[in-house]
Amino acid sequence: LSVHLSQQTLADELMPPRLSQSEVELNSNSNSSEDARTKATFQKVVEVFCKRDIRRRGHVEFIYMALKKMPEFGVEKDIAVYNKILDVFPKEIFVARNFIQRMFNHYPRQQECAIELLEQMESYGIMPNNQTKFLLLQIFGIKSHPIRKYQRMMYWFPKFKHVNPYPVPDPLPQDPVDLARHALQRIAANFDARVVVYQLPMTELTEAGKESDYPYIVGIQSPEQRSSLAQHNPDRPVFVEGPFRLWLKKTCVYYYVLRAELLPPELRVGKAIDPERNFYYPMVLDLDLGRDRLDDMEFDTDEVEEGPVFAMCMAGAGDQVTLAKWILGLQETNPILSQTPVVFRLSPGPRELQPITGSDDDGEEEVFENQHWKHEL
Amino acid sequence: MSGIGLLLLRATRASLPAGARCLRTGRPCPAFAKELFMGKIETKDVFPFPEISNEELKEMNQFVGPVEKFFSEEVDSKKIDQDAKIPPETLNGLKNLGLFGMQIPEEYGGLGLSNTMYARLGEIISLDGSIGVTLAAHQAIGLKGILIAGTEEQKEKYLPKLASGEHIAAFCLTEPGSGSDSASIQSRAILSEDGKNFILNGSKIWISNGGIADVFTVFARTEVVDEDGDVKDKITAFIVERAFGGITHGKPEDKLGIRGSNTCEVHFENTQVPIENVVGEVGGGFKVAMNILNSGRFSMGSACAGMIKKLIEMTAEYACTRKQFNKKLSDFELIQEKFALLAQKAYVMESMAYLTAGMMDRPGVPDCSIEAAMVKVFSSEGAWTCVSEALQILGGLGYMKDYPYERYLRDCRILLIFEGTNEILRMYIALTGMQYAGKILTDKIKAIKRGHAGLALEMFWSRFRDSLGRKVDLGLVGKDGVVHSSLQESGKKLEENIYYFGFNVEGLLRRFGKTIVDEQLILKRVADILINLYAMTAVISRASRSISIGLRNHDHEVMLANLFCTEAYFKNNYAITELDKYAPENMDESIKRVAKQVLEKRAYVCSHPLERTF
Repeated sequence: LSVHLSQQTLADELMPPRLSQSEVELNSNSNSSEDARTKATFQKVVEVFCKRDIRRRGHVEFIYMALKKMPEFGVEKDIAVYNKILDVFPKEIFVARNFIQRMFNHYPRQQECAIELLEQMESYGIMPNNQTKFLLLQIFGIKSHPIRKYQRMMYWFPKFKHVNPYPVPDPLPQDPVDLARHALQRIAANFDARVVVYQLPMTELTEAGKESDYPYIVGIQSPEQRSSLAQHNPDRPVFVEGPFRLWLKKTCVYYYVLRAELLPPELRVGKAIDPERNFYYPMVLDLDLGRDRLDDMEFDTDEVEEGPVFAMCMAGAGDQVTLAKWILGLQETNPILSQTPVVFRLSPGPRELQPITGSDDDGEEEVFENQHWKHEL
Repeated sequence: MSGIGLLLLRATRASLPAGARCLRTGRPCPAFAKELFMGKIETKDVFPFPEISNEELKEMNQFVGPVEKFFSEEVDSKKIDQDAKIPPETLNGLKNLGLFGMQIPEEYGGLGLSNTMYARLGEIISLDGSIGVTLAAHQAIGLKGILIAGTEEQKEKYLPKLASGEHIAAFCLTEPGSGSDSASIQSRAILSEDGKNFILNGSKIWISNGGIADVFTVFARTEVVDEDGDVKDKITAFIVERAFGGITHGKPEDKLGIRGSNTCEVHFENTQVPIENVVGEVGGGFKVAMNILNSGRFSMGSACAGMIKKLIEMTAEYACTRKQFNKKLSDFELIQEKFALLAQKAYVMESMAYLTAGMMDRPGVPDCSIEAAMVKVFSSEGAWTCVSEALQILGGLGYMKDYPYERYLRDCRILLIFEGTNEILRMYIALTGMQYAGKILTDKIKAIKRGHAGLALEMFWSRFRDSLGRKVDLGLVGKDGVVHSSLQESGKKLEENIYYFGFNVEGLLRRFGKTIVDEQLILKRVADILINLYAMTAVISRASRSISIGLRNHDHEVMLANLFCTEAYFKNNYAITELDKYAPENMDESIKRVAKQVLEKRAYVCSHPLERTF
């Protein structure tokens, strides 16, 4: 009974205020059923509305309200739910019967409402399916505005579906280590780069009864980076810099880089090709002729040269102790690091960003403070 | 029989008049191929087709007989391929015939063959790929270092035993990493404290004869002090005997083809090499390696031609006896076409190979490395197509292990890869020519770029005349021409190709200058055109000679020559058009982009055709 009751309240919440003025007051009580805001309840509410009145009075208002409430129920990306809402429209009565009706805006409020629904689908990137099409045809008939909207969506959506050459997995991995691994591979953009998990996240109880946290450390380094680090002059320091932000959909992660300053121009060695390099053919021609201007297809760009980046990492905590552990781990594959001074140039970064981006949940902020990944709803 | 064979050969050689082949001093001959880059043809280098004297011919035929007999009677290629080993009896037979010292001078116990005669014997030896490669690894590269850069003492010490086949040689250059990059050489030789020995350490891979060789030519890094007093790592060549100790080898590699040849890893561990065994200078190993590699290639042309001639015999036999639909296979035009192709390719290869060998046998030290590289590229690719076509004639039969054809196919695949891959050799051919032409044309191009009115006008005028349908005349055909009138048309085509090729080379140099080294797609086309030009020259020259002296079936030769020249002419024209930046035929940009995207993804990029988006 109580379940039924809560559904009823939710249904009322969705009801357009003009229809059931008295029941709207129940809205204030709806907080009691907060936990029931799921797809199932949403669908039930829609069903309840459909069954209540054979004439479906107020369905336009109901649909507008339902569209508005979708994100709250977490169904804003569910095509089945959109179809369910569309199903609320009474069938066949809005179909134009002659050319004059077709020419003018037949049942404008209903057509606009359906377009609104399709537009919401569009903004969430939901592609209509065959059921949507059949419903629209049944409700508004061919050559109606919603069908036109549907056709336009079906023209553009497939074209844009794979337009991103670097798609982010959907859904994102929940495990911070997996997420870090994915993010690092994405930044490195190198098939040869190897991801190493230097430390898995764990909590240990010390003898004194205190909890000590071991944040995760995940690093990545490509063979080219390893060899360029090996050629680095150990007298010059290398720097750990960060945190830098990376957005993956709505998740923000932070990473750190190990890099060196650019060598001053007088120390840079020209990379002349050894004339005795290739046993088979000359690698350079001994000619005093350059490339013709017309064949120089390079754009004239000013390039800012930066120092080399040797490795990257993501860690559960951005303090120096954690990052020092990463450097220690790197030393196993890069022995030169043990002779090279490492300077930590860490900006306070995410700690100060936190209150701005995620201030609505006071209780959770404590937890997030030490975690450099965060999921925003 | 073989021992007697060798005695017989020696005896014939002794009966030759002294100095029959000893006139090899004097002017170095200007390279023919380089002149083509200038749009000119050095007719005196290639016309008339090189000949050998009657005595030499007679002598050679006496060589050829026993070798041919040995290969047809005593070499069981199928068994060699199956067991992946050349039986000792066969090796002994080869030794007795003197085939291990073909190019070693007689005073060191070799046969002292000229390049031409070496090429002739190569035709027969190639009938078994494994033996061909074993012998080539021994003398075309293995002991070549001693022959061309060794001291008198080294020659006296090593050559006699190598010539007799008592010792087998191997060439140790490639290391894990890559074959053509000298930076990948990690083997190191350090001078011992007493200064008498080098201590050699390192590993070499894919060494032909590595498991059976007694003498190795090894390339390793040594420290050399240059003029400025800096210590530098440079490559040095050493003669290393297995007896020096510390040499081990891996088990023979299991290969696709040439299975009977021995290929394995060779490891050197603290091998003591006396300083007398340095080939050339300390630190001069790079030049030695290059010279060895450049000089070893020309013989592939005749070897491939020999193999194809044999294939034609075998497949023709089949095509003329097998019946389909009451018709002989040979009556079908599509089968006939294949035989025409085989004959044509064999003819071109032969012509190129013997023209090059003849040029190399000229007095002086002619540098024919571009020509040799062209022969190698053309013949290895030709051999692969021909064997594949021959297999096609035989249909399913060719695919069966019971017949020798599939072995030919497997064996000849290596030709495109070793002794410098064809891609690398194309770069060599094109870049060497570009360097030569660039040196000469630099001043002219610079003047034009500066806006020298006279030169620009001259260029414009010559272009204008060309567009009006100019007749190119380089003096090949006509009254004072060197080409026989039956080949007049082909000669004219060659002239036209050469002229426009030279014109385009100049254009390329103007456009790219020294950055042309990075334009590999263009260089490949340049090399392809040059190879065709050289091949055309070779067949025209040979066919002209054949008509003039009335060789048997010279009319057939004329047909083959004209056939090839016409085909090559149109191919060249197409390639020359492709060199134009704005030509619609030029797809370079698209090619590069497709490759780039595939390589970025390291996979085939396209979605599956059954994939859908809605």
